[in-house]
Amino acid sequence: MTTQTADPTGMAETPAHGLDLSGATAVAPRLPVQPADASKSAPAAQATTVVQSVAGVQAGAGRPPVGSGRPVATVQAPAGRRTETDGRTRTPRWAAVAGRGEVSGQAAASVRTAARVPSAVAPQTPADPVRVLMHRHRELCERAVDPLEIAAGLEAHGVTDRTAARFRHRDVFSLAEELYARVPRADEEDATAHAPAPPVRDGSLPTGWAAYALLPGALCALTLLGAGRAAGGLRVALLVTGALATALALLLCLRHGPLRADGHTSWARTGWLLLYAVLGDGVLTRLLGDGPLWTPAPAALLGLAAALAPAAWCARLLTVQARRRLTVSRGTEDFGSAVRPLLFGVFGLYAAALTLLLYGASRLGIGGGLAVSALAVGALLFLARLLAVHGLPDAGSMGLTFACAAEITLLGSVLASRLPGCEALAGPVRHAVRAWGAGAVPAFACGAAALGLLAHAAVALSQASAHAAAPAPTGGTARAGRRG
Amino acid sequence: MRIGLLTEGGYPFATGESRFWCDRLVRGLTRHEFDVYALSRSEDQEEQGWVALPPQVQRVRTAPLWSSEADFRTSYGRLGARSHGRRERRRFDEHFGALVSAVCAGVTAGARAPGPAGTARASAAASAGERFAAGLYGLAELAREKGGVHTALRSERAVRALERACRAPGAPRVVQTAKVSDHLVLADLLERLLRPLSLDWCDEGEGGLGAVDLCHAASAGAAALPGLLAKRFFGVPLLVTEYGVQLRAHYLAAQEAELSAPVRTLLAGFHGLLAAEVYAQAAVITPGNAHARRWQERCGADRSKLRTVYPGMDPARFAAVGETDGTGADGTLVWVGRIEPAKDLVALLHAFAQVRAAEPGARLRIVSAPVVDASSAAYLAHCRALAAHLFPDEAVDARTEGESPVLFEELGGPGAAEPADAYASGSVVVLSSVVEGFPVSLVEALFCGRATVSTDVGAVVEVVGGTGLVVPPRNPRALADACLALLRDPERRARLGAAGRARALELFTVEQNLAAFRDIYLELVSHCPVRREPADGEPLPFALAAEAYVPGAWTGGAHGATGPRGTGPGSTAFPHAGGSGATGPRGGLAVLTDRATEDPLPDDAPADDPAHRVSDRERRTTGPGDRPSGPGKRTPGPGDRLADPAARPGAADTTDSVREVRP
Repeated sequence: MTTQTADPTGMAETPAHGLDLSGATAVAPRLPVQPADASKSAPAAQATTVVQSVAGVQAGAGRPPVGSGRPVATVQAPAGRRTETDGRTRTPRWAAVAGRGEVSGQAAASVRTAARVPSAVAPQTPADPVRVLMHRHRELCERAVDPLEIAAGLEAHGVTDRTAARFRHRDVFSLAEELYARVPRADEEDATAHAPAPPVRDGSLPTGWAAYALLPGALCALTLLGAGRAAGGLRVALLVTGALATALALLLCLRHGPLRADGHTSWARTGWLLLYAVLGDGVLTRLLGDGPLWTPAPAALLGLAAALAPAAWCARLLTVQARRRLTVSRGTEDFGSAVRPLLFGVFGLYAAALTLLLYGASRLGIGGGLAVSALAVGALLFLARLLAVHGLPDAGSMGLTFACAAEITLLGSVLASRLPGCEALAGPVRHAVRAWGAGAVPAFACGAAALGLLAHAAVALSQASAHAAAPAPTGGTARAGRRG
Repeated sequence: MRIGLLTEGGYPFATGESRFWCDRLVRGLTRHEFDVYALSRSEDQEEQGWVALPPQVQRVRTAPLWSSEADFRTSYGRLGARSHGRRERRRFDEHFGALVSAVCAGVTAGARAPGPAGTARASAAASAGERFAAGLYGLAELAREKGGVHTALRSERAVRALERACRAPGAPRVVQTAKVSDHLVLADLLERLLRPLSLDWCDEGEGGLGAVDLCHAASAGAAALPGLLAKRFFGVPLLVTEYGVQLRAHYLAAQEAELSAPVRTLLAGFHGLLAAEVYAQAAVITPGNAHARRWQERCGADRSKLRTVYPGMDPARFAAVGETDGTGADGTLVWVGRIEPAKDLVALLHAFAQVRAAEPGARLRIVSAPVVDASSAAYLAHCRALAAHLFPDEAVDARTEGESPVLFEELGGPGAAEPADAYASGSVVVLSSVVEGFPVSLVEALFCGRATVSTDVGAVVEVVGGTGLVVPPRNPRALADACLALLRDPERRARLGAAGRARALELFTVEQNLAAFRDIYLELVSHCPVRREPADGEPLPFALAAEAYVPGAWTGGAHGATGPRGTGPGSTAFPHAGGSGATGPRGGLAVLTDRATEDPLPDDAPADDPAHRVSDRERRTTGPGDRPSGPGKRTPGPGDRLADPAARPGAADTTDSVREVRP
């Protein structure tokens, strides 16, 4: 049976078919074996198998079989077909078999025959074969950033240099270049403009963090209220348990959730500031000579603990909004000018919430009133934490250090004034306390530090690098943790 | 000699990509000492631990490319403790700016597509490459001297530099659309990729890359970065081996990753330029097959540096099967491999249906490695269903139990405990993949002396050569016809099997792989004199041949470091630089490759050029009374050379000229 209708035509087209290897060489010069025409028109019932070889195919059948050494190809044709096979010395590519109607070699494609002669077997060969390929790999080609990416993708889909030869290309690379040139790039600009804003999802945020953030305030309030109603040993036990529980809740909020920060937390400085906010005024008044020593103001503590919730919400708000602006900003200046008002807005929101909470705490009747100093402490701690969350812990801890140092110095000056000859040292503090009350000292120290930090944050947090997406949570970051 | 083996996400981690060949290499070359410098890709990888290391591995140093910058800073931040001053910041801006502008320009110029020489495109690509290299080494020097580069790479300055480069006139349009978030992502990725610059591996002291004789990088990506630095700062030759091209792997990975177009563009540009720089600096590049070779050529590798070294496999496991005469059970086809859609088992089953139509006695065994992931399992189930559909169970007569002619088995099961058993059970081994890299199962089949029918994908043609039948992929009819042809012709099967075994034994054994690398090592080192200084403190290039360096201490040392001796046959010449030396008593010495002339850093070379010192010393130490002795009689000492004359270019004429001047 005739294997291939196109074959006679192919032969007619290339009269020097039997000797002409140049065409095939030009097509794929670097292949170990040259692709060539499909199998012959051997009307054989038996299989006429053709084996490719390193040395080229010797078409003469009946060669001595080679068992080892360099591989030598053999072509074995049935005796009756020998003369036909002998006439052709082109290197056949495939083990094409002439057993059936179509020949596999046809699919493998003699480049020239397939290209020039629309064969009867595959009559609907499109005039532009690459178009089919373009259609099939459109997404790959549209997304590709350079021809090599298309080449890699095509190869992953099984396109080889031999396939590329079918499209009249030397190799996959040049085929990929044509595809890259012909397929229009997907317009990324439009795509991003129309795409919905990517959801800002942070894998490290535990579910329900917004509720956890309420815990320290609630626990603190319960403790203080309970202690106010109890007395004696029960009161002490309540206070100790409540303090422990509050501390644990605080730790939980700072380790997980939007206030999480890698790096050191200055526990000692924070502790001092809180301690001063509760006890400092009484001590100072006593040192200045009038009033009792023990006048704690737990309302400030309660207000600050409760303010952890708005702090977490505000930090989250800043993160989300800043990332949204990141994805739409064209440049760092745009981003900076968009983020700065956002930062002030968030800070204002927090300050308002803090004031409300402090006011609420002062109305509970557990001691202490609404103090400006507590407001300043809260603002300072919030700003320091915000900076640490965005990878700038140094500035925050510097602010805290300044506030602590100022408080200690002012207290120290009052103490030192008791030494003979140093009475003048306490002068400024005495004047300030007389004019504005004992709260003026911490209000001044923390307020100045907070203002400085706010100015710093306005610069530092309007930088794009401060809002880089947190790296994927790994054990490593968890290990880094926070040491204070 | 001491080899610095550089890997990324591979050896010695137990889940690494390149661990098998690295392991074979390290175990095979017992007379060399290996220092492994490994970059890990994920935390998971680090937790999986290492493979067992042979005693040749003296030292393993690892660094993570995955951890956060803060962690990296704490663990490796010896260099990054100080923050940059104004001068360092300016240097950083300059070098990083050069780097990223080169990346942008490289994208436009198509740096990796070598245009015809002299065209504007080629020159643009070349200048992009130069700027990239200048920026990269500038950053490396900054990191070496002042540290803190990894921190700076995440700072606002880096983001602004990226922004400037992307907005520069001439940057491609897609890059100009980059948003701030894209710059941030890119800065993050670049910081990870450039971490090797900040590591303290590039020291001259013990345990640093300055002390190795040769860097062998297992890929051209980030793994080769330390090698580039060692080459730059110490002149250590770099050998790059790639069994899969890193750049191609990057492209395939980038298609999966959800990155925006500008980021992907710039990242691809960076990887392309990095690969081009690695290929340019490498002394020899060894692709594992012709496919890798084509990619490397495409990425700018010089063709004269490329030497294909086929991966080696251990033929011993298959010797028993391969050496027996039988050609396996008649009429049985075997497929061995890992089940996945790219293997196109469906085509194989369809082909087998046609084989059965012609040869009713034919059987097919599909032996697969244990299936682990869900998609493979689904594909296997699909194939089983298809097989059940195509081939109902059948029996010889009415009384026996029926059985399907297609048998699915797992390696390690009762039917095929070892891969060799699987191959032995069939007479023809079939490979029906549509996508394939280097087909290991085909090589194993060749080792077993089995005739093969395979599809023309990947490196199949290279592996099979002329010893098997090759058909186009996705063509069940051709596959069936080829199988039938072999099934019906046992004589031919035997012939092809024997030829295949001979071919595999010649090309794909571990021995040839090791021999190739051993030769390349010696050749590279012979071109690059050892810089290790002798005990007495005076530097003397060539005083100690690298191949004379063995782990542990010398037991001899009679000659000590008395300098050049042994000018008899088999010894080597000294670099001879300086015109004045030509008039000395040994003026006829051949000149070997002199490090001073090849030094990539001629500007930094100290005033007292080592080569001059050498020639002075030479004149001092070799007088007429100096008795040369042959290498055979010598006790090796630290100053001695045990060079193979063949390994040194110019050694032959050296001996001649030495003989002339001998008193």
